[in-house]
Amino acid sequence: MTLRPGTRVRTSSADPDHHTRLPRYLRGQVGEIVYAGREWPLPDDVARGVAAPRAEIVYTVRFAAAGLWGTGRHTVLADLWASYLEQADGEDGEDDEDDGPQEER
Amino acid sequence: MSRVHDVGGQTGFGPVPEIPGSQDSPPFHADWEARVYALAGVLGRRGLFSGDELRDTIESLPPERYLSASYYERWLQALEILVARKGVA
Repeated sequence: MTLRPGTRVRTSSADPDHHTRLPRYLRGQVGEIVYAGREWPLPDDVARGVAAPRAEIVYTVRFAAAGLWGTGRHTVLADLWASYLEQADGEDGEDDEDDGPQEER
Repeated sequence: MSRVHDVGGQTGFGPVPEIPGSQDSPPFHADWEARVYALAGVLGRRGLFSGDELRDTIESLPPERYLSASYYERWLQALEILVARKGVA
């Protein structure tokens, strides 16, 4: 499943005991998919020497600086691997698989 | 657990003095820095470690060593750890 631009996502709040590319200031934050990039090996796996590291889509995600730090009128862009993200509830985005076929309007 | 490098958004470290490799700044401040960079490149291309392993090793330096070291001093300390760990030292 590829998340479409505009999809609201929440980042993982986990604090892993290994290398990760999700910085601390982006844990548990809500942002918006800007761009779905290519698949790339997951650094969390590669750094640990996993024989077959997961390859995941890397998304460019936009966050409001004020939401991260309580101040600032700018936005922050971060490239984040798919497993760092989950779709935020109640927001527009990828259709649920159970919805069945949908027609263009 | 969060590591010492993960300081994005924290204040108190002062201004960033310069960006290495930018228009007004040389990529290296001393020959040994270029050698460390080249050594890391050669060992990485030979398959001794991945870029993520190098990052992981740098981030895992003891905080007091990490914070007292310059950028390429961290690279060098990580290389010393990696070549010993991989048995090629």
